Amino acid sequence: MASADSEPAPGDTEAIPQAVKIIIAGGFGAGKTTMVASVSEITPLSTEEVMTEASYGIDDLGGVEEKTTTTVALDFGRITVNSDVVLYLFGTPGQDRFWFMWDELAEGALGAVVLADTRRLETCFHAVDFFERREVPFVVAVNRFDGADGYDAEEVRRALDVDAAVPVILADARDRASCRDVLVALVTHVIRGRSPALSG
Amino acid sequence: MSHDRRRALARHDKDGADRDSGGDSGPDRVEERFLRPFAVAAGDPDGSGPGPGPETLDLLTLVVAARTPGRSEWLRPEREAILRHALRARTVVELAAEVNLPVGQVRAIAGRMIEDGSLQRCGPSRPLARKDILHAVLVGLRSL
Repeated sequence: MASADSEPAPGDTEAIPQAVKIIIAGGFGAGKTTMVASVSEITPLSTEEVMTEASYGIDDLGGVEEKTTTTVALDFGRITVNSDVVLYLFGTPGQDRFWFMWDELAEGALGAVVLADTRRLETCFHAVDFFERREVPFVVAVNRFDGADGYDAEEVRRALDVDAAVPVILADARDRASCRDVLVALVTHVIRGRSPALSG
Repeated sequence: MSHDRRRALARHDKDGADRDSGGDSGPDRVEERFLRPFAVAAGDPDGSGPGPGPETLDLLTLVVAARTPGRSEWLRPEREAILRHALRARTVVELAAEVNLPVGQVRAIAGRMIEDGSLQRCGPSRPLARKDILHAVLVGLRSL
């Protein structure tokens, strides 16, 4: 109920863009936050989700269940594509167990980037598996950390056992142009996947 | 998927076996373990109680203030902050970052505010087909 002294908001007359998102996933420390910061037009914003984890696997009829509160940080950046579209980049929460957040992030996403750290390749298995299962199109970006062994993209592809159609790209999460190239590769991959005549 | 990766997953995640056999049921099941607590009762000291659930707002749902903060925000700083930051259309997740509250809480408060008419949900001015969005994003990214 608007009260008598209410005024129309300035927002009423402004063009409102469509908000879309791309997910930046990967294991803890793979460079997700760095990548978001490298391409975002704003200093990445951060919010959090506070969760109560109820005891699990224990009969809770006694009402003595223990609860612990967990805070999940959610970092995101923004790229204004044009006056009609704004792209949000979301880094997935580092801890694998927060699947509910992944589900929500993946819902309606244009696609995902899986950042792979060749020093700890297994830390991105979850992400690859998740996007395959959800049929969210993704690319693998191999973040080249200083001092990391020089694996080539094909070695990483074999180790991760991703589909041949999934682009695997060497990247540097600290470098804006490199991150841009990864995102361009992702969107190209998504567009190609949507036109059967061009795929394969 | 390779057996190696499956094994690694099972090792890595105690829910792995369940997810492998249960298909999509895995994440849903995990979701049951987590609750979103709201110490600030969705900003409603006058409490309308559990009632019908507030509107479901996605992280990227756009909302805009339907009015400027007024007397009804007295002693409700969360609502006042949300109205101030939503003078222009904002996504729920941006609002949460700007008013410095957990996104789940902002979702709950914003849902109530939509119900009482102080906030409005808004769609894009020019809705585009997914294909057009993808092409716009591609062009936009290339020019970064």
